[in-house]
Amino acid sequence: MMSTRAGLSVPAIKVSVDWSKPLFAALAALLVALVLLPLSWLIFYAITDDTAKLTLSNFAGLVSDPTLRRPFVIAIGMSLGVGALSCLFATPLAWLVSRTDMPGRSIIRAFVTASFVTPPFLGAIAWEILAAPNSGVLNAIYRWMFDLDPYEHLFDIYTIEGLVFAISCYTFPYVFTLVSNALDRVPSDLEEASAIQGAPLFTTLRRITIPLVMPALLAGTLVAILQALTMFGSPAILALPAGFHVITTKIWSLFQYPAKPHLAAAISVPLLMFAVLLIWTQKKILGRRGYTTLGAKSGAPRLIALGRWTWLAWGFAGALLLLTVILPYLALIETALTRTVGQRLTFDSFTLHHFHFVFFEFSATSLAMRNTFLLGVMTATLGTAIALVTAYIASRNVVKGGWILGYLATVPIAIPGIVLGVGLFLAYSNSFVPLYGTLWILLIAFLTIEMPAAYQQFSSAFKSVHVELEEASRILGATRMTALRTITAPILRSNAVATWCFIFIGTIRELSAMILLTTADTKLVSVIIYDLNESGDLGAISVLGLMLLIVSFAIITVANRLPVFGGAKLISLRG
Amino acid sequence: MSFLELSGLSKRYGPLTVVNNVSLSVERGHVVCLLGPSGCGKTTTLRMIAGFADPNDGEIRVDGKVISAPSGSLPPERRNMSMIFQSYALWPHMTVRENVAYGLQLRKLDKRKIQELVDNILATAKLSNLAERYPGELSGGQQQRVSLARALVVEPNILLLDEPLSNLDSNLREEMRFEIRRLHDQYRYTTIYVTHDQAEAMTTADVVVIMNGGSVEQVGSPEDIYERPISEFVARFMGGSNILRGRALDHRTVDCGGVKLVCANEAPQKDDQVAVSIRQHTITIATQRPEEPTNWAEGVVVRNVYLGANRDYVIELASGERIRVVTSTSSPVENGRTVWCHLPPEHCRILTS
Amino acid sequence: MDRRTFLTGLLLSTALPLLPAFAAGPEVYDVTPDLIAAAKTEGVVVFYTSLDVAAAEKLAAAFEQKYPGVKVKVERSGSERVFQRIGQEYGSNIRNVDVAETSDAVHFAIFKKNGWLTQFQPAEVSKLWPENARDKDGAYAAFRAHLSVIAYNTKQVKAEEAPKSFADLLLPKWKGRMVKAHPGYSGTIMTGTHALLPVLGWEYFQKLGQQRVMQVQSSTEPPKKLAQGERSIEADGNEYNVFMLKESGAPIEVVYATEGTPITIGNAAIFKNAPHPNAAKLLYAFIFSKDAQQLNSDVGGLRSFHPGVVEKPERTPLSKIKLLYSDPEKLINEVETIKKKYEEYFGT
Repeated sequence: MMSTRAGLSVPAIKVSVDWSKPLFAALAALLVALVLLPLSWLIFYAITDDTAKLTLSNFAGLVSDPTLRRPFVIAIGMSLGVGALSCLFATPLAWLVSRTDMPGRSIIRAFVTASFVTPPFLGAIAWEILAAPNSGVLNAIYRWMFDLDPYEHLFDIYTIEGLVFAISCYTFPYVFTLVSNALDRVPSDLEEASAIQGAPLFTTLRRITIPLVMPALLAGTLVAILQALTMFGSPAILALPAGFHVITTKIWSLFQYPAKPHLAAAISVPLLMFAVLLIWTQKKILGRRGYTTLGAKSGAPRLIALGRWTWLAWGFAGALLLLTVILPYLALIETALTRTVGQRLTFDSFTLHHFHFVFFEFSATSLAMRNTFLLGVMTATLGTAIALVTAYIASRNVVKGGWILGYLATVPIAIPGIVLGVGLFLAYSNSFVPLYGTLWILLIAFLTIEMPAAYQQFSSAFKSVHVELEEASRILGATRMTALRTITAPILRSNAVATWCFIFIGTIRELSAMILLTTADTKLVSVIIYDLNESGDLGAISVLGLMLLIVSFAIITVANRLPVFGGAKLISLRG
Repeated sequence: MSFLELSGLSKRYGPLTVVNNVSLSVERGHVVCLLGPSGCGKTTTLRMIAGFADPNDGEIRVDGKVISAPSGSLPPERRNMSMIFQSYALWPHMTVRENVAYGLQLRKLDKRKIQELVDNILATAKLSNLAERYPGELSGGQQQRVSLARALVVEPNILLLDEPLSNLDSNLREEMRFEIRRLHDQYRYTTIYVTHDQAEAMTTADVVVIMNGGSVEQVGSPEDIYERPISEFVARFMGGSNILRGRALDHRTVDCGGVKLVCANEAPQKDDQVAVSIRQHTITIATQRPEEPTNWAEGVVVRNVYLGANRDYVIELASGERIRVVTSTSSPVENGRTVWCHLPPEHCRILTS
Repeated sequence: MDRRTFLTGLLLSTALPLLPAFAAGPEVYDVTPDLIAAAKTEGVVVFYTSLDVAAAEKLAAAFEQKYPGVKVKVERSGSERVFQRIGQEYGSNIRNVDVAETSDAVHFAIFKKNGWLTQFQPAEVSKLWPENARDKDGAYAAFRAHLSVIAYNTKQVKAEEAPKSFADLLLPKWKGRMVKAHPGYSGTIMTGTHALLPVLGWEYFQKLGQQRVMQVQSSTEPPKKLAQGERSIEADGNEYNVFMLKESGAPIEVVYATEGTPITIGNAAIFKNAPHPNAAKLLYAFIFSKDAQQLNSDVGGLRSFHPGVVEKPERTPLSKIKLLYSDPEKLINEVETIKKKYEEYFGT
């Protein structure tokens, strides 16, 4: 386009069409469809009746009907319990792992990762096997040890305390990750300054260290509370036998015949608001001045010598890991390999019956595995790409209002899975968009659910990539898309691989939204596990559950070994 | 018609006007320095030239063709420019060679040609032995040279530099200033150079543009700007001057607190409040009262510092104002002595404020 | 088979048509050579079923063997999914299904109300089936039935101590030792509860609710909880699951309560807009034949209304059991109340 370039050896740039604008428009439309469409349908259903007339009677029911009110009270109490217990589990463990010389710290981190990867509903089932009052393995051992009558029991998992415990086993990693990251960043000199003035260890801990990591602790606890509040699988498995509903199971029951979608939509609204409130509070806490200034790392943190306290530390850590990971896994393995639940695994009782059933007799298995794998790969690939481009547009403000895209991508974090399921069902099961019963609706649901975490991954990654790196490429003749493809994406490739794995693992363990969206032809492994639990096939569940876990661990291991990965990156990426 | 023309260029971010009505003409092959304190709009102006930001008013033309205007701008990738960034912006996942070859690959040159051009520029930039290294393995100065090589190898129509030396330590900075000028003299690209460092501007530019608060204060050769500042801001920013305030007695004479100064240029209006600038090293000191008081100021030495090459005095005038004087090291005058300073008329400049 | 009900109200609300005029009485038909010939030209029949995979495949194979040239396309899934899929297809004007069957009688009452069913009735059904096992207008008929029974773990409870009646379940000694499925999630239990109410009244359920009963969703689950020994007694649950577990060696025994045992009827019907109307009639007649019904009993542990079916000797024949019926057309209007009351008494 410019003047003659006579005498120069390099020709003027000829740029191909810049597809970025249309792509961005398409992406914006996609995100709006993913997020706003189901929410609009949800709101529409909440404020209308069967004849599509505006009404507030759905909400009036929430106030006047005790069977609708009670689940809220119970769910909030349960979530607070989970928050507190997660804190009790995670905080000492995080401190031991981050700030002391306790041996085997990397093993503990690996176990925490295992707990994080374990789908909570699978953990709940494992705890059914362990601590059901009569058939539970632990209770059987207890009776055998003290020669007690049948029906005497030590633990009863079918209680609200049992439920709180079974959930906390799989939510404490959220608190652990945030707190241990924060502890890693507390500069040692702050503690040393206190110690040098003669403060004993516990005074330093109380006056300096804990206040410094308090925001992380609170934020992690809020995440645990949010997880518990929006969780469907564990309450559905444990609360129903115990004779109470939480919000999510109540929503689920409202979809039983005769379905009450309007009431279900209405009951979803307060849950959505709770979730938004929790997220907002968490953001406030983490965004506060002072917390971020901890970021600068001044040398490796000083490790505290435990000395003769080591055994106590290991006692705590060991007990915790035993309860959250080792015992449940052993229970699943034993159940998978013996014919009836609770049978001791011996040379005689060993059987591959359940494996044979799951892989050769049970017709749903192969279909569900194929669907799960297919959707996992598709969601991870598409989700990574969409999150990358969205984060690019939002953080580089490529188009006017690009930040709105980023905001849209984070909204689903506040949408509980079951609420999203309701919204998507309402949005895509009508005759205009008949996606219900296809894999597409599941793909949409997965993409929506996984988008916030994936987006946040890339969004923080973009902050670490200087904008000038992209500008340098553009001024040399690269379009936006070329710059993204040749410069930004390769620089972020380790983030991309991490995000991919993260989404994949997330999809294969997702249950709460899927439970409303799968049909016979679109079964998923997580859903058939839930179905099998409904019909009491614990052996088959154990086989399928172990399979899910093996796949998840394989992916983490492979991802961690990829050359682009730096050490324990996967552990730090979640939060 | 100049090669690159900015006319009436403005850029606003919300209520904030960052660049205000900037007009500038740049001849082909010249190095133009945009000089000013941070926040003066120089970088935004550069980014508008590059196409990273669109103007709210005005336009940018290259060779008579409009490339930026409020109604729409050519994207950066179509401008055939190159840019050197403050952070160097070397791609960490590519070797030095890959970094330099990137722009050529986008131009779809064949492999052999790319190899040849890259080898040439690496040799010129003294980088041949570092070609296979990654940017993370290079020193700051080496990174800077890679950045230069990468920008020059595509033979841009216009080369843009954004504070290219601010991340280097002072020794290296001096060396690179001359390196940039040397490469420019070799390739003669039209160059826009943004800096806040006067010395950098002095050594590299053909034309210096002083910017302040989003507007252009003065355009001229380095010598013009240094010797003949037109405003108090320019004089203060370039440094080395004393500024005295006073009232114009007639077109050439200013009364600054009782000292009558005949100046080299004309005041706009009689009785105007004006400022007069005079460079520190053009002032001479006498210990005897002069015969003709015009352009002589009486004062007391309050501080004198020996600086090796010269001597730096602070003198308090009768009006209470203090001026600085730089003289040769011979015949020191001790503190507390009354002295008479000569402010030669040919060096006194009346400034608009 | 007996699956949670699901999203159906919505689907129905989108598909609810005007109530059609219904001719009184069924159109009884025989399997004639003409019908067979017409079916063969159609060549295929689509069968939506919630039978066990094995039972469904055996049924199809038997049909194809009897009528070579007519293939059965079996679309198998849970009852509620079959119900919901038909609702969805009719809502979107997709006509795919010829013959369908589910384990939940209410489904067919709704299909009939929607005017989606024909009134064809095989001669065998009109001759042999009891009146309460076939629709008076011939829209559907009982393809199969199963009972919801009390049962106990024989290791934990001696036969002479075992409950004999629903009233026995209210004894203090069973507190905390019972398991029960949920009418909100299981069609069988909904039907059973509806059938029990005239006999026992809500008072019974209110008292049962205070017995700390372990609540599960599906009616297939209580027998499994008994077999595991998690609970000693089931207050309700599928009879055929008890049979199957017992046959595989689990210590578990059925009780037919003195007050009566609720029966859940699984109907079948031909759809009005069937794409293969003749093949549909042929298959429909076949599934009620003695051979097909015997298969249901042998493979699935299900009950049949065909008097010619021979049950396994260890099973109590249907004729010896006091049965409690629920009228699906009445039940439709009761569902809401039952769920509400149940939650009041049982907490979920």
